[in-house]
Amino acid sequence: MNCELAHERIVTAAYGELPDEQMHELERHMTGCPDCALEREQLRALKILADAHPVMEPPANLVARSRLRLEEALDALPPKRWYERLTQRMVNNFASVQAAPVAACLLLVVGAGAGILGGYEFAQSRAAHAATLARSAAVAQPTPPAAEIASISSIVRQPNSEIVDVSYNQVVPQHMQGSLDDPKIRELLMLASENSASPLVRDDSVGLLAAECRAGHGCQAAGIRDALMVVLRYDKNAGVRQKALEGLEPYVAVDQRVRDAVLEALLNDSDPRIRTEAVNVLQPVEADTSVRQVLHTVANSDQNPHIRTVSREVLSRVPEIQ
Amino acid sequence: MNGGKSAQDRLQARAPEMELIREAQAGSRSAFDALVRQYEHQVLRLALHLTGSEHDAEDIYQEAFLKAYRYIGNFRFECSFYTWIYRIVTNLCLDQLRRRKTRREDHAVVLDHSGDEIDLLASVSDDRSFSNPAKELDRKVLGAYIQAALGKLTPRERMVFELKHYQGLRLRTIGEMLNTTEETAKNTLFRATKKLRTQLAELR
Repeated sequence: MNCELAHERIVTAAYGELPDEQMHELERHMTGCPDCALEREQLRALKILADAHPVMEPPANLVARSRLRLEEALDALPPKRWYERLTQRMVNNFASVQAAPVAACLLLVVGAGAGILGGYEFAQSRAAHAATLARSAAVAQPTPPAAEIASISSIVRQPNSEIVDVSYNQVVPQHMQGSLDDPKIRELLMLASENSASPLVRDDSVGLLAAECRAGHGCQAAGIRDALMVVLRYDKNAGVRQKALEGLEPYVAVDQRVRDAVLEALLNDSDPRIRTEAVNVLQPVEADTSVRQVLHTVANSDQNPHIRTVSREVLSRVPEIQ
Repeated sequence: MNGGKSAQDRLQARAPEMELIREAQAGSRSAFDALVRQYEHQVLRLALHLTGSEHDAEDIYQEAFLKAYRYIGNFRFECSFYTWIYRIVTNLCLDQLRRRKTRREDHAVVLDHSGDEIDLLASVSDDRSFSNPAKELDRKVLGAYIQAALGKLTPRERMVFELKHYQGLRLRTIGEMLNTTEETAKNTLFRATKKLRTQLAELR
């Protein structure tokens, strides 16, 4: 390596752009060349000196001033017309294609090749499965959309064939509209009051059933009334139970089973509002001593002082309760 | 593997910028404003350091971004937007340096931020030392002297030295920005350092 080349490489090395192999060569040269070693020292000194004129961050005022001036200039420019933008886009697209003609041709060839190969594979696959498909078609039923299948109950493969029997349960959303007096509607409402996972749906259905009972619209003992009693005893939602209690209120005096359900609620319901309401709805029943007993029990032992007080008031106010 | 990952990271980092560029190309002013915000500090930093004048830096900022706005439709993602905008700025700076060269040939005078001239040679004391300049010279005066020495380079040498030494760009990127090869950029840097050493040797 001569000194002239070494001087060039010293600069490149000082800025970290000399490849490793050339760096080793340069080091070897400089160990025996004091002039080049001095050259490197001088360059190092230059770099230190040059740093005495450092790059400064632009002052905030300058940035703000420049930005404002630019915004004013941009605002003054007329907006680009649609045809100018379209022309620009076409020029760009053309330039892109022009810049990469080989790539475009390759893309075309690869695309055509993939298409031919894909078509060939598809045809072969079709031919191989034609017989199976024909057999399957003979026994196949139209498959419902996956969303309508609730569960798969069994899968049995027929011996020595590709035919499989799949038994599945289907859930198909349905909709029904009708009067509240319609037995089918009532059946659905009663089903909803007992089975729906949604407290809102149970609340709606129980509310409607209770309103029917209060209005005296066909609130038969074996139908809606039973459903409301089940709700009063077992529903997890206090609001829903309260609605059921309201629906049962007109039947406390006439239906022993309803009275028992209300008394149970008075004794056992976890919600003090329900127990208070139960006290209020109990009507004087001459022949039924159980009401009085329960009221006594509640008046003496209910954990809620308000309920105890109310029970005592009812007992004292209504002497006719047996 | 790391290279692949970092290339992917860079690509991901550039993705929002590409979106901004596409929107700006489609005529979105807010997208263009976002690009301006992204690069304005770098543009001003370079222009201010090269010209040493806030006024010139402001002019270069203005012209550079107006040009970028006008020609952003020509940007075809063949290089980074950073390189593209720097190319515009370096060309404008080169024009400015050339104009200044013809206006004030060989004058060891620079402008401070307020536009006042500093006569460097008058402000540098006689007992200077090259070996330990930090102890012998006031740093500000030395900086001004360096600026004067840089001013004696040709605009192209000045630009290559600026981009390499102060902005830390790769020679290949510098070549791209100046529409030349890496080899030419390397030779220009070599010439620039040689001239600067000669200039600053006078300080001994």
